[in-house]
Amino acid sequence: MSDVPILLEMRSITKEFPGVKALSDVNLVVRAGEIHAICGENGAGKSTLMKVLSGVYPYGTYDGQIIYQGAETRFSDIRASENAGIVIIHQELALIPGMSIAENIFLGNEPRKRGAIDWTAANRMALDLMARVGLEEDPDTLIKDIGVGKQQLVEIAKAFAKDVKLLILDEPTAALNEADSRHLLDLLRGFRSRGITSIMISHKLNEIEAIADQITILRDGRTVETLDVRADGVDEDRIVRGMVGRELSSRFPDHTPKIGEVFFEVRDWNVRHPISAERQVCKNESFVVRRGEIVGFAGLMGAGRTELAMSVFGRSYGVYESGTIIKDGKEIVLKSVADAIDHGLAYVSEDRKAIGLNLLDDIKSSTVAAKLSKISHRGVLDEVEEYKAAEAYRKELRTKAPTVDESVSKLSGGNQQKVVLAKWMFTDPDLLILDEPTRGIDVGAKYEIYGIIQRLADQGKGVVVISSELPELIGLCDRIYTVFEGAITGEIARADATPENLMKQMTSTKKMLTR
Amino acid sequence: MSRLKDLQKNLFGGTTSNARQFGMIFTLVAIVVLFQFLTDGLTLRSDNLIALFQQNSYILILAIGMLMVIVAGHIDLSVGSVAAFAGILVAKSMSDWSLPWPVAILFGLAIGAIIGAWQGFWVAYIGVPAFIVTLAGMLLFRGGNQYIGNANTIPVPEGFREIGSGFLPEFGPNTGYNNATLLLGLAAAVAVVWREIQARKTRRAMDADPAPMWISILRMAIMVGVIAFASLRFASGRVGTSFPISGIILLVLVIAYSFYTRNTAGGRHIYAVGGNSRAAELSGVKLKRVNFFVMMNMSVLAALAGMIFVARSAASGPQDGNGWELDAIAAVFIGGAAVSGGIGTISGSIVGGLVMAVLNNGLQLMGVGTDRVQIIKGLVLLLAVAIDVYNKKQGRFSIIGSLMRPFRRDDSAPPASPPNAEREPAKAAVSG
Amino acid sequence: MRKFFGTSVVAISAAAMLALAGCGSGRDGDSDSGGEAAKGFPANSLIGVALPAKTSENWVLAGDLFTNGLKEAGFQADVQYAGASTTVADQQAQITAMTTKGAKVIVIGATDAAQLSTQVAAAHAAGVKVIAYDRLITNTPDLDYYVAFDNFKVGQLQGQALLDGMKAKKPNGPYNIELFSGSPDDNNAGVFFNGAMSVLKPEIDKGTVVVASKQTDVKQTAIQGWKAEGAQARMDQLLTSTYGSKELDGVLSPNDTLARAILTSVKGAGKPTPVVTGQDSEVESVKSIVAGEQYMTINKDTRNLVKETINMVKALQAGNTPQVNDTKSYNNGSKVVDTYLLPPVAVTKANAAEAYANDPKLAPLTK
Repeated sequence: MSDVPILLEMRSITKEFPGVKALSDVNLVVRAGEIHAICGENGAGKSTLMKVLSGVYPYGTYDGQIIYQGAETRFSDIRASENAGIVIIHQELALIPGMSIAENIFLGNEPRKRGAIDWTAANRMALDLMARVGLEEDPDTLIKDIGVGKQQLVEIAKAFAKDVKLLILDEPTAALNEADSRHLLDLLRGFRSRGITSIMISHKLNEIEAIADQITILRDGRTVETLDVRADGVDEDRIVRGMVGRELSSRFPDHTPKIGEVFFEVRDWNVRHPISAERQVCKNESFVVRRGEIVGFAGLMGAGRTELAMSVFGRSYGVYESGTIIKDGKEIVLKSVADAIDHGLAYVSEDRKAIGLNLLDDIKSSTVAAKLSKISHRGVLDEVEEYKAAEAYRKELRTKAPTVDESVSKLSGGNQQKVVLAKWMFTDPDLLILDEPTRGIDVGAKYEIYGIIQRLADQGKGVVVISSELPELIGLCDRIYTVFEGAITGEIARADATPENLMKQMTSTKKMLTR
Repeated sequence: MSRLKDLQKNLFGGTTSNARQFGMIFTLVAIVVLFQFLTDGLTLRSDNLIALFQQNSYILILAIGMLMVIVAGHIDLSVGSVAAFAGILVAKSMSDWSLPWPVAILFGLAIGAIIGAWQGFWVAYIGVPAFIVTLAGMLLFRGGNQYIGNANTIPVPEGFREIGSGFLPEFGPNTGYNNATLLLGLAAAVAVVWREIQARKTRRAMDADPAPMWISILRMAIMVGVIAFASLRFASGRVGTSFPISGIILLVLVIAYSFYTRNTAGGRHIYAVGGNSRAAELSGVKLKRVNFFVMMNMSVLAALAGMIFVARSAASGPQDGNGWELDAIAAVFIGGAAVSGGIGTISGSIVGGLVMAVLNNGLQLMGVGTDRVQIIKGLVLLLAVAIDVYNKKQGRFSIIGSLMRPFRRDDSAPPASPPNAEREPAKAAVSG
Repeated sequence: MRKFFGTSVVAISAAAMLALAGCGSGRDGDSDSGGEAAKGFPANSLIGVALPAKTSENWVLAGDLFTNGLKEAGFQADVQYAGASTTVADQQAQITAMTTKGAKVIVIGATDAAQLSTQVAAAHAAGVKVIAYDRLITNTPDLDYYVAFDNFKVGQLQGQALLDGMKAKKPNGPYNIELFSGSPDDNNAGVFFNGAMSVLKPEIDKGTVVVASKQTDVKQTAIQGWKAEGAQARMDQLLTSTYGSKELDGVLSPNDTLARAILTSVKGAGKPTPVVTGQDSEVESVKSIVAGEQYMTINKDTRNLVKETINMVKALQAGNTPQVNDTKSYNNGSKVVDTYLLPPVAVTKANAAEAYANDPKLAPLTK
């Protein structure tokens, strides 16, 4: 392979955000005409690296060099990188649903004749581009009327309209079904045979194994290794080892679980997508939680963990189809969030800022927000009780803020998360569901939050932790369910859990029980 | 220096005070003083103060409801039309069906409630944006007003006129003042002192230091001074005039709604929905119910405002309510509410409304024509909000602001948490 | 705690005393209001004029005339127009502001004549004389005077001109005519119509004048909203239903806009031009009269109306009772208002040059 000319080289790229080093000293070498996969856990720095490459983070905001087609380049914005033939296709497609395929392909790049858009030429060129990506549709069809798989192809056709030399695909098959995924992978192989270079970010290791020529693995913002698939005889296990191989000890407080009886159970849970009703996001899922137990949910992004949690939490996601919830031996029906709270459920959302907190609020009103009835007498709030409750949690969780009158928007991520935890602890729940409880939080605060979670379990509450960080699940949970494509694919006891076997369960439908 | 800081922090509104509110009160005082000077003392003369309150009470009542609508993240363009529609029906009910006026007032409030339920239904349960629902309402109820009234003016009886043009009664010994107004002032002064003492107690109960003693006293002295001044002014109007009834209605509403928005769960929920509706929903807030309530409440208050205007004008006419929505919305935004919802106070909106009212009145006393008054009011609205936005921007570029940047809600690049697919369904659920 | 109360009591009483001192005297009595017009007031007093929004040229002209006329007479003038959208509320606030500023007389051209009683009452109570200009303010006992053109007389002149015009064309009857009236929601429309009918009715009864369509009721003749297209449509329909073979000799039209619409309709049907009346001296109609098409219009000269109003103000200033010529007919619902009525002038081709001699816009058209 080494005789093939190098198309792109990124040399010791370092990118810092205030307080966090997202990339440190990352190197990437991509040769012309290959498919280069980039692997790594969530937060390893894959997307940041691609944003540096495509000019989203312009030259000057990072350290290091980008050498492209033999010369150093300094992109000031996305347009500059696109003009150089580097096109990135994000996992969230940048298409306009109400416009036609042709209009989308040429958006911002319209063929003109005397100032006006030449639609005849546009349609002709669109047909040509669509043929290259194997898309058989009328170019006048609206984007919203075609499926996600075809939309993905439109994105790629759009890239070709810009004379692409290096195509970057971020999780291209995440939203696709199997047939569409296969078609896309075939297409990428076709591009390779025509000499087009692709970079692909993916979590689906089987796909990577099948298609990639080279694999660069990132971990914690650093390059771990670059594997040559053919030469090194790479398989999924090898990739996983590179991705997760890190020290697990001492990141978690010591803890001896006091596990009691099963008190919470979900049976045969089926939920459909809120908008496209044909998509089933929870397929016959069943799980149990014991008192004092920390139960983990492992799965790739898009596997449906959040959807499961939220649909159980008062049907706050999707369209409920069937399934029962049993708590303390009795069936309960939770039709609204208020019902769920009344029955002692709490859900700490994965996205603090978007759906977990009202950033306009201060700490004390955030703390009591989910159970105002606890501090009010006949509907009138008691400010003193509110203050005392908030202050008590501030002390207990050691939230770093001058007073509870401080606005939550001024807190760091870890302290915001503590406020969210306080908000839900204030509701006196029996079952806490924590969705990505440590995302975007620095290591020290993570340790504290693990401690809080363990204390909650010791009080006899059941805790469900959803996390994309396997070491976190293994270090924290007493039992771990794996979820793949809306179904529970395995249940692994703590003692048996390794990143490798979890990853395997998270990427296949084969059941494995190690109770 | 530290005293000055204390003063700035604690003088108005205690611990939850913010610079914006302080700025608004300061602006109001400045405008009053300016016009007092420019109009040779006419601005603060009894008859003018009384007229000022009578003329603007209905706009300020609308501002109360509008504040809640805007805090919840909506807007109501229909208030003027709803006011006119309720006004003409109430006038008709008294002239054609000879309803006694107290019953007619209840009838008017019921009309407001029905209209509000109609608009609330579309906004909360069908999910049509309030802008559209109330734009439709604006046409609908304006048309309804013209249809029912046939573009005619319908007079209302004497008793009904009291709510718009009546005054506190005269009674008791001849003190040279209106005794009822004096008593009202005294009650207000006592309430202010009582509240301050309560606030100090509350602070102590929170194990927090109350504001320094001298600040408390200064604050009370200023408040009591203002109340004494105002009540003496209102009490010394021409015999037969005093504090207007419409002003009493306004005061009662301001106190009741301030309490509701600040101190009850229902009020909290409005702010929660406006601040982050998804987070509120996931905290157990019944979104639909809150949205329905704010829209319905607005229409009830609009009906009340319409009746007060009709009472003051002694008749319901086809022009009633024209442009009121803009005055009410302007008052709320000048008073510090955020366009995106979640922020704003009743008292701020009232102050904002008063700034506009004093401006209007002062310019009229100076003989400035309506055309130029409108130009000036437009500029003031723009400036007030622009200064606010500018200050926020300044904050963003300050040292503290840049340190806090990763934790701001609108920041696009939080470390190590790129946008991801799992977040998508949640978003879809919000929009669907 | 004790210290807190002590200091606060001192501070609060100090504040209250300060406020008291600032307020000064007690309240004004009721004594100087009403009834004592004979005293008059200083010659440089403030006179307020509150007019509707600037929607028609007439009001703009009136405003200018008031400003200049009052200044010439030595008064301070405060002339205000209502805003374009918030008319009634603006006018209410303006009248109140004028009262506060100490105006001695307030002249009001009402935007809505029924919605000003509270402000008029307040002005009256403060000793201000209130004159209703052009539009009678209703439901208030506190209005002092009313100045306007005589609208009944307008109708009479229209009726008479119609008869005269037809006689001039064709010495002997019977004459076929049609009747039009203004918008049913406008009080003045009925007044115009009644005035005209007071002249025409005897002739109709005698049979010298025939309303061939038999539509003589005000409801049948009304044109909603004074809309030109409404008049044209009704005329079209009358021509086909009634005047297939008959001659149409004259049409009673309440104003110029409708008159021109009627003429358009007749012309379209290919009929000879009948005698058509009008009102308002609109530019197009004056041209039409000079060209011999429309027969007549009414001139209500704003200049004269303003002049008479200022004369009233002058009389009040001197402590005299202003001249009025009607103390019986104008009941505003609460009282009979002393009124000065100006006579309108009928204008035909014969006297157009003379009638518009003082009007800089219309005078050139008559030459």
